[in-house]
Amino acid sequence: MLTASHLTRRFDDRVAVQDVSFEVAPGEIFALLGPNGAGKTTTLRMLAGLIEPSAGAVRVAGEPMTRRTASRLRGSIGFLTEAPGLWDRLSVRQNLRVYAQLHGLQEGDRAVDEALDVFDLRAREREPAAQLSKGLRQRVALARALLHRPSIVLLDEPTSGLDPESAREVRDLILRLREQRRAILLCTHNLDEVERVADRVAVLRSRLVASDRPAALRARLFGARLRVTLATAAAPFVPVLTRAGVPDVRADGRMLSIGVDDAAERAPEIVRLLVNAGAAIQAVTPEQPPLEEVYLRLLSESPA
Amino acid sequence: MRRPGGAAGARIRALLAKELADLRANPSVFVPAIVTGLLALLLPFFVAVIVPAVTGERLSDSSDFQLALEVYRDQPGLRGLGAEAAVQAWIFQQFLILLVITPVAASMSVAAYSVIGEKQARTLEPLLATPITTLELLTAKVAGSLLPALALSFVSFALYVGGALAFAEAGVYRALLTARSLLVVFLLGPLAALAALQMAVCVSSRVNDARSAQQIGALIILPVAGLLIAQVTGSLLLTGEMILLIGLGLALLNGGLLVLGIALFDRESILTRWK
Repeated sequence: MLTASHLTRRFDDRVAVQDVSFEVAPGEIFALLGPNGAGKTTTLRMLAGLIEPSAGAVRVAGEPMTRRTASRLRGSIGFLTEAPGLWDRLSVRQNLRVYAQLHGLQEGDRAVDEALDVFDLRAREREPAAQLSKGLRQRVALARALLHRPSIVLLDEPTSGLDPESAREVRDLILRLREQRRAILLCTHNLDEVERVADRVAVLRSRLVASDRPAALRARLFGARLRVTLATAAAPFVPVLTRAGVPDVRADGRMLSIGVDDAAERAPEIVRLLVNAGAAIQAVTPEQPPLEEVYLRLLSESPA
Repeated sequence: MRRPGGAAGARIRALLAKELADLRANPSVFVPAIVTGLLALLLPFFVAVIVPAVTGERLSDSSDFQLALEVYRDQPGLRGLGAEAAVQAWIFQQFLILLVITPVAASMSVAAYSVIGEKQARTLEPLLATPITTLELLTAKVAGSLLPALALSFVSFALYVGGALAFAEAGVYRALLTARSLLVVFLLGPLAALAALQMAVCVSSRVNDARSAQQIGALIILPVAGLLIAQVTGSLLLTGEMILLIGLGLALLNGGLLVLGIALFDRESILTRWK
């Protein structure tokens, strides 16, 4: 649906984005992570047809984004910019109506009505945007980005500055967009949010440091691990496992952390060994380091 | 769901409607233009009507206005004017040039606000992410500034003629309805305003404060003021042909400024350098 091929963008002598390639499929949430100045916003702008790449190409449903096609292709993209960018003196409805007209929606008023209902803005539709809270402004900006039902949605920090309840609403909305088979590119610093919604993650630091499913990134960096919680101290059971050929075993209180090739395949055998040795097992779970650790490890291993 | 044809026109109309709605919500942007218009309106009445009434001296008795009498003896349609009316007609016609400054001032303040206001409110990025093209955006911005400026200018002209009808000597108002006068108001005024606002738009795409844009746009006022001085001192008499020639020059200038505006107003600079 949305393809970035070897995207490079230079600003004078500075290279903001270098040789970045990825694809976002319909019904997929692809998260783009990276420190400030890593080139995330520049990448989004290239994907949205706002700035041209110095090298490489953007394709929307197979069609290359060029000067000639950009205006038309922008019509199939919904872009939530970092700042809501509402016209403060215009009402919520007026803000949305202008965008409905700019997108050439034939039943613009109906689309605006629907958006007001979906985003729970009906009660505020006549208020000037300047009077809205930050959360409401973000909601209006989201409604505006999705008004024309784009097949591709680019979201730059969609929950930035929102209270937890509003942030959750936005996350739920993003998940609904995935159900509607939209291709969603999510750019954020909120790793918890990424953990909750993203199907795939890319870490950017001018270049693409890594790109994969969160679980695959974890496995690649930390290996697969099993966590076994016992009713008693775990240390006495370490030799049981090492003698059975499981070399990477760590004990911490009542917890055993066990490095395995494949957690699902090795779990029954490990449980049997421990039970036979008299362990009272309370829980067995695959060990998942938080995405934050994955992210920080990836960044620490990539040149600044 | 999408409207098939005339997409560019619809986008321009949509943004133009937004510009006008935004101006309605912020009428203070017109204050400088209204002050300019009022001054342009009141000055000739002060000179031609109020001063003689207060001092009790007739303008036609002064040797300073002999030129006016000579000029108006040559104009068909105004030959029937008495001496005092001829001098008043001459004054009202000379100061008509000031009315050109009204749309210039109005368009400059609106244009500078319109572009730099978008810049400061960071509303341009989502706007540029729609299918709107640079030409469509500039057309809507220019029209959104020009139309209210012209409306203000035409209202000022109507008040000017109405004032002359009500307060000046009988028949003086006819001097303001000659082809020459109408060309000044309806040709030079709009073209000068368009040039000024295009200059303001060009500068707006490169600076971050409205005042810089307005100052550059104000350059167009200098030649207008020069014309007024040259006329009042008698060193130049603006004929219909000269007005048409100046109009042609302004039209060419506007064409050049349009090309320059599109070149300067590129999305990349706006998004990457506007902070």
